[in-house]
Amino acid sequence: MKKIFSLTGAVAFNSFMESVRNRFFTLFAVFAFAAIYASVLAGVMAVDQEARVLTDFGLALMELVALAYALFSASSVLLREAETKTIYLVFSRPVPRSAYLAGKLAGSLMTSALMLAVMGLMHLLLLKFRGFGVPPGYAWALSGSLLKLAVITSFAFFVSLFSTSAVSTLVISGVFWTAGHFVTETRFLAESSGGAVAAALKAAIWIIPNLQLFNARDAAGASCALGPAAFFSAAAWVAGSYLAAVWLISGKEF
Amino acid sequence: MTRLALPAAALLAWSAGAVVSYGYYHSPFPPPSEIRTPAAGAAGDMFALAFGARRLFADVWFIRLMQYYGTPELQEGETESSEEAHERINSAGRYPDFLARARHVLEIDPGFVMAALYGTGSLAFNMGRPAEAQELLEYALKYSPREWKYLNVLAAIGYSKAEDPAAVAGAITPILKDPDCPVMLKQQAAFLNKKIGNYAAAAAIYADIASTSRDMAYVRNAERELQKFSKVLPAGQRRD
Repeated sequence: MKKIFSLTGAVAFNSFMESVRNRFFTLFAVFAFAAIYASVLAGVMAVDQEARVLTDFGLALMELVALAYALFSASSVLLREAETKTIYLVFSRPVPRSAYLAGKLAGSLMTSALMLAVMGLMHLLLLKFRGFGVPPGYAWALSGSLLKLAVITSFAFFVSLFSTSAVSTLVISGVFWTAGHFVTETRFLAESSGGAVAAALKAAIWIIPNLQLFNARDAAGASCALGPAAFFSAAAWVAGSYLAAVWLISGKEF
Repeated sequence: MTRLALPAAALLAWSAGAVVSYGYYHSPFPPPSEIRTPAAGAAGDMFALAFGARRLFADVWFIRLMQYYGTPELQEGETESSEEAHERINSAGRYPDFLARARHVLEIDPGFVMAALYGTGSLAFNMGRPAEAQELLEYALKYSPREWKYLNVLAAIGYSKAEDPAAVAGAITPILKDPDCPVMLKQQAAFLNKKIGNYAAAAAIYADIASTSRDMAYVRNAERELQKFSKVLPAGQRRD
């Protein structure tokens, strides 16, 4: 068991360092900083609500930038490792496929966490520069974004094992992300319609993860704290995707 | 058997997440049937829901509301009388879409207290449409029933209908120190205090506007008023 953890840690660290060295990672950081700075314009337009606009714009942008990188990374990493034959080298050693996949997923999540932390720091510095303090519930908003990223990244890993290209994985995961924010509306529609439509909508509610559960940045004040249910659901959905991915990867010939 | 164990475990884990989420999560937002886009911007509303960015798009709608309210209503070829010019400076125009636009901000983000106070104050005290202001407040209260600031403004609207400026100023006063208080409401409170002869209180509010607001129009007006008060008030009560 200890050996499995050690192997998983090694793969995770390697995957994390590979992401950090990736040129795309630097570009995203530069882009995020430039775009957050551009939000100053929107802040000026809001006059006395500048702090709120800067906060909302920055948090939304950070999440989207981290999402773009996480999806790009998750959809291409396994395909790239198969193309470069790296995966054959790994599996020629006594590395269980479950540990390899767990390591890749953990590396990707560590990268997302680092991205959010770096962008969050830039954002807070920008707010401080404009004369504002740390917005209430800021850490919860970032935690919620990380939980969302964990759910969607693990799902993208699962999809990448049966989709034909990185693009199709990106599209499927992107649609899933969008649908995940519509679960509340889907629930309302299911309750207000009947017959086959209601049944289909109810099925969708069970299949699609409710990402609004983690959307602390859209809540206000004390209500933005994430409850234990949010952490449990995120862990369950990540575990579900991971186990399904392990099932798929264990049937593949490498 | 082992081959089936993994997908079964995956399904079980996924279902556990769904069950907990279904039982725990109750949306604090209005249902989609209540969202009525008052102007071009339905695509923005879609993005607000699709990306879970309600607050951000509520901000955009609020900026649009302020731009709408800050735009003179004259059509091409129309001329402005001196009375209309006076009304324009006090933003007391017709603005027929104001209620719909202000309500839409709350439809997207019902927790946007400042927008509700701004919309209500503008309708009730600047445009003289207390019924619409009350309608907006009732909608805001539906999603934030414990918001004391709404109740105070509701009382202020009642007093304004009874033409009791002292009571209106009294009802607004507790809100003035709150970070959600729009500068427009502060201006209103200062004006009412001045009207009833409570110059010290008016000067204190103008001083607060001058030192905290980022809206230069209000800041300049507050500075002008403070200059006038400096000639009227005894030295101990001056705020400049």
